Amino acid sequence: MSTPVAMQPVAEPATGRTGPRPAQRLTGFMPLIALVALVAALTIADPDFLTARSLTAVARTAAPLIVLAAGATLVVLCGGIDLSIAALASLTTVLLALWLPHLGGLATPAVIGVAAAIGAVQGVAHVLLRIPSFIVTLGGMSILSAVALVVSGAGTVRVVDDSPVAWLDLYLAGYVPMSAAMALLVVALIALVLKVTPLQSWISATGYSESAARLAGTPVDLVKIGAFCVSGACAGFAAVMLVSRQFSGGPTMADNLLLPAVAAIVVGGTAITGGHGSLWRSLAGAFVVTLLRVGLPIVGVPSAYEQILYGVIIVVAVALTLDWSKVSIIK
Amino acid sequence: MTVTSGVAASRRIFRRGAAFRDAGPPVALVVLFLIFAALSPQFRSIENVQNIVDAAAVLAVVTCGITFVLMMGSIDLSAAGVMGASALTVSLLVANNRNDNDFGLAGIAVAVVLGCAFGCLSGLALVLLKVPSFMATLGVSAIGLGVATLMFAGVQPNITDAMLKSWAIERFLGLSYLTWIAAACILVGWLIQRYTRLGRYAFAIGGAEEVLTLSGVKVKPYKVAVFALAGAFYGLGGVMVTSQLGAGLVQAGNGYDFSAITAAVVGGTLLTGGRGGILHSAVGVVLVMVLTNGLVQVGVSPYWQGGVEGLIVVAAVAAAVIPQRRRNQVVK
Amino acid sequence: MSVPAEREPTTSAPVPALEVRGLVKHYPGVKALDGVDLVVHQHEVLGLAGENGAGKSTLLKALVGLVTPDAGEIYVRGGAVKLRSVVDAADHGIGMVFQEQSLVPNLTAAENILLGGEGPAVRRGVYRWDVMRRLAQEQLDKIGSKIDPLARTDSLSFADRQMVEIAKVLRIEQRSQHPPVIILDEPTSVLESKEIETLFAQIRRLREFASVVFVSHRLDEVLDVCDRVTVLRSGQSVGEVATAGAVPRELHRMMIGSTGSDDHYHENAATPVAAEQPRLSVRGLSGKSFQDIDLDVAAGEIVAIVGVHGSGREDVCRALFGIEPTTAGEIRMDGKKLSLPNTRAACAAGIGYVPAERKIEGMVGPMSVAENMTLTKQKARCAGPFVAPKKQAGLVDRWIERLSIRTPGRDTPIQRLSGGNQQKVVLARWLVGGDIRLLLLDHPTRGLDIGARSEVYRLMRELAASGVATVLLGDSLEEAIGMADRILVMNDGRVVTEVACPNGGKPSPLDLVKEMV
Repeated sequence: MSTPVAMQPVAEPATGRTGPRPAQRLTGFMPLIALVALVAALTIADPDFLTARSLTAVARTAAPLIVLAAGATLVVLCGGIDLSIAALASLTTVLLALWLPHLGGLATPAVIGVAAAIGAVQGVAHVLLRIPSFIVTLGGMSILSAVALVVSGAGTVRVVDDSPVAWLDLYLAGYVPMSAAMALLVVALIALVLKVTPLQSWISATGYSESAARLAGTPVDLVKIGAFCVSGACAGFAAVMLVSRQFSGGPTMADNLLLPAVAAIVVGGTAITGGHGSLWRSLAGAFVVTLLRVGLPIVGVPSAYEQILYGVIIVVAVALTLDWSKVSIIK
Repeated sequence: MTVTSGVAASRRIFRRGAAFRDAGPPVALVVLFLIFAALSPQFRSIENVQNIVDAAAVLAVVTCGITFVLMMGSIDLSAAGVMGASALTVSLLVANNRNDNDFGLAGIAVAVVLGCAFGCLSGLALVLLKVPSFMATLGVSAIGLGVATLMFAGVQPNITDAMLKSWAIERFLGLSYLTWIAAACILVGWLIQRYTRLGRYAFAIGGAEEVLTLSGVKVKPYKVAVFALAGAFYGLGGVMVTSQLGAGLVQAGNGYDFSAITAAVVGGTLLTGGRGGILHSAVGVVLVMVLTNGLVQVGVSPYWQGGVEGLIVVAAVAAAVIPQRRRNQVVK
Repeated sequence: MSVPAEREPTTSAPVPALEVRGLVKHYPGVKALDGVDLVVHQHEVLGLAGENGAGKSTLLKALVGLVTPDAGEIYVRGGAVKLRSVVDAADHGIGMVFQEQSLVPNLTAAENILLGGEGPAVRRGVYRWDVMRRLAQEQLDKIGSKIDPLARTDSLSFADRQMVEIAKVLRIEQRSQHPPVIILDEPTSVLESKEIETLFAQIRRLREFASVVFVSHRLDEVLDVCDRVTVLRSGQSVGEVATAGAVPRELHRMMIGSTGSDDHYHENAATPVAAEQPRLSVRGLSGKSFQDIDLDVAAGEIVAIVGVHGSGREDVCRALFGIEPTTAGEIRMDGKKLSLPNTRAACAAGIGYVPAERKIEGMVGPMSVAENMTLTKQKARCAGPFVAPKKQAGLVDRWIERLSIRTPGRDTPIQRLSGGNQQKVVLARWLVGGDIRLLLLDHPTRGLDIGARSEVYRLMRELAASGVATVLLGDSLEEAIGMADRILVMNDGRVVTEVACPNGGKPSPLDLVKEMV
């Protein structure tokens, strides 16, 4: 075995100064600042808003959105997009509702596993067939919706005995909704795994500059497939939360969560061009979106404006976070 | 380096098999038609063929619009939202049960112009804010749906305008007026594509945008104009759906965005831009309609329609990408 | 035999069609143009020669408004002009046929010729195809081309497309109302020899109603077709030669200049290569753009592959790193057969690759020095599956010091470093694992200034001394000769000859050039 040792580095480590600049720190906190501003504004508009009850309601509403956005954030960090999450979540609610009577407690891990597998299949299609991710997932969205319609017979599937998923609808310490706690746990867990392993570098490198990442020997393809897989699993988990709250599954139940989830990701400041961003940002973004949703009626705006707001938010937030230097020709 | 050489390589093989690609969709259409005709007696009945053509009308108009956007290499997901907004607009402006308006054709024109304005919005977000088109149009679609919901205001406007209603019912030479409108749209679209600077530049932008810039062409106005043109087609599509349903619905455009992309892609328009055209898309529309109608006739659940479209899109795009694959090419 | 012409004062005779005085352009870390002077007389074909990195392409870009110079003046027919865009340049009668062909492939030849200036062919946004055809035909007739104006551009041959480009560039005549200046940037690199003859006839014909600037790295071509040649070196014009009777050798000497005896390539540090079993052994490797490549590199040896653009050497290099697919042949490393389906396999085999496009393929700009350095050899910074921050910090800091990388800290985004330091980080990426056996260096000094180049050369010597085998695609012929122990010359996808290149017995660049073209 003649493994040559190129050069022996000098033994003494030099100490380097580190840390981002103050300006960077500030922009990093933008979603948090927006969040605080929103809470303050809503409190002024309605002093009752800052009560345990309404905050609990916000947390509970936000939970599925957080999980959905967190998973899709991984795909966005890799430079792609997953438009199928909401349709996948809808399909999963149907599957869960159908399987609960037969599988009982096993139904939850089973549907999450299926959702993860579906995500992975989309990832493989994207990587192997070299189809842009938005097309793969747009096609996936259409296919999954069709499957959900067929499987459910285009109707709501009631859950008679919801005891295996009822725990998600409980409250921790009387105030903290279990679903919100689990959502936080999911975000924290994924973020932690990324941080302590090389995955963080791999994902960022893939998102910032895929060709450089590939030439540095990064497993770009696996990273992308993994991101889609986790995104699918998260969509599955969000579906479990929805079923636990609504005691039923429906083929279009989660469809209206796509725009809020995308809005949450971009409002958090994760760049649609890839690389820059984090799950924590999407967490903050999900709260911002939820507060807007809950807050509109409080300040007396008809809820029809919700959609318009999502549209505006998506366009403006993407424009603000986009890495203009990276894209010379925008299609 | 990789990127440019990839482009050069793809240009070199551009023409190879082009004849096959152009001939492919029509041949597939004929084959598919024959298969279904053999499998199902109902399918080959005159009434069913009329049905297919009539059902294709709205999709054909929407696809006309989206084809121009796809030719540029952009994408447009805003059809559903724009159609919803224009459907509500037209149903509130022509004779209806919600108010005393009776503007007739002027109301229809306003709805088309509104669609045009939404398209403009997408285009401006693309060229001024540099938001990628799929994101910009996703946002605009949401805005359109929101506007439609506002106008809907909880009460469904049923139209009583005789003329608009007749579009879906009256027939000329065995085909509904809507079908003739769609045919006119295809003709107009083809003329635009063939004989106007807007159409040719849209085509060229998809072929090599940087060359246009180098030649001193300002591409931004053309991009906005293409999105506006597409928006106008969606607006008309919304009007046509309203005529079919006899009422203005927020969901008027549901699914049309994706079906239109499917039709265009199947017809031979590349998502990377620079290839295909209105006539290709027209073939694609009929192909999609024959397929979905035929599947229903042979006993497949109509719920599968979206699934079939999804599979077709992925397969068609993958097939188009295969000859251009390179190892270190970046696909987002 | 001719002597470099004395620079004449420009007051005599007619005003030059184009004149450049003291043009300067800085890029971060590099002075691309350092006071270039250039005169193009009317109805003259001027050759522009220079090594890679001599500033040719920056100069051309400045002439067509794609680059704004930091200092200096451009005069068109005696009047000073500021060129802000290609359109600006066209208005002043300067047009360029780009190296990467700049036609819209899916439009007709006629549309391409008239693109951006359709005039009467488009009225109120509506095409009048008959007028368009006629106008394009006029342009094509002018250069005697028989192409059908309504043929789709991507159905034409490369040579025909070039004719379309020339016809397109000639349209600027109508804009400026003067004989135009046509710049041809490496027009021959994609053409067959017969097509080149046609092109040259075309260029001579152009001289009747235009001035031409002809750029090529093939000196024989430059001498063949041009009236006069200006030679660039390190961003300066170092001389002019009247081509009548001149020989390539002379031009080449001017392009290279005197290297001096400052041991720029650290040749004293070169170590003799032990003639044992080769580290890398390639037999019969074939791919899309190269055939039947045999290549041996011993441990500690630096082997350079030289060849012109399109010789296939870049693809060979990329094939050795699992990027470019191969169709036949085998690669052995220390006697063991390798299969390289992807870059991961190559990395695992102890192969490292420094790509030519540092900013796009070499580094991940927004990520930190530390992350860029440890992107490949994860084991070096991890404990088990986890990143060990202290281990990583220690490792990175040691290598920052070892390679004297000037950076504010290990967490600084790499894009804030100078080019040379960026390149050192990219190199360090392969070294931190301590298991590198073969380095593939694709233009490792591209875009670096002299000091940074020298440091990279020193590093290459040290690596060779420690037993790393190196394949070098030099930025210039001179670099390849200076650094390599052995040189392989590639031409048209094949290795045509192999030249030993020991210290004290270096081959002359001209002998190599002969084999390359």
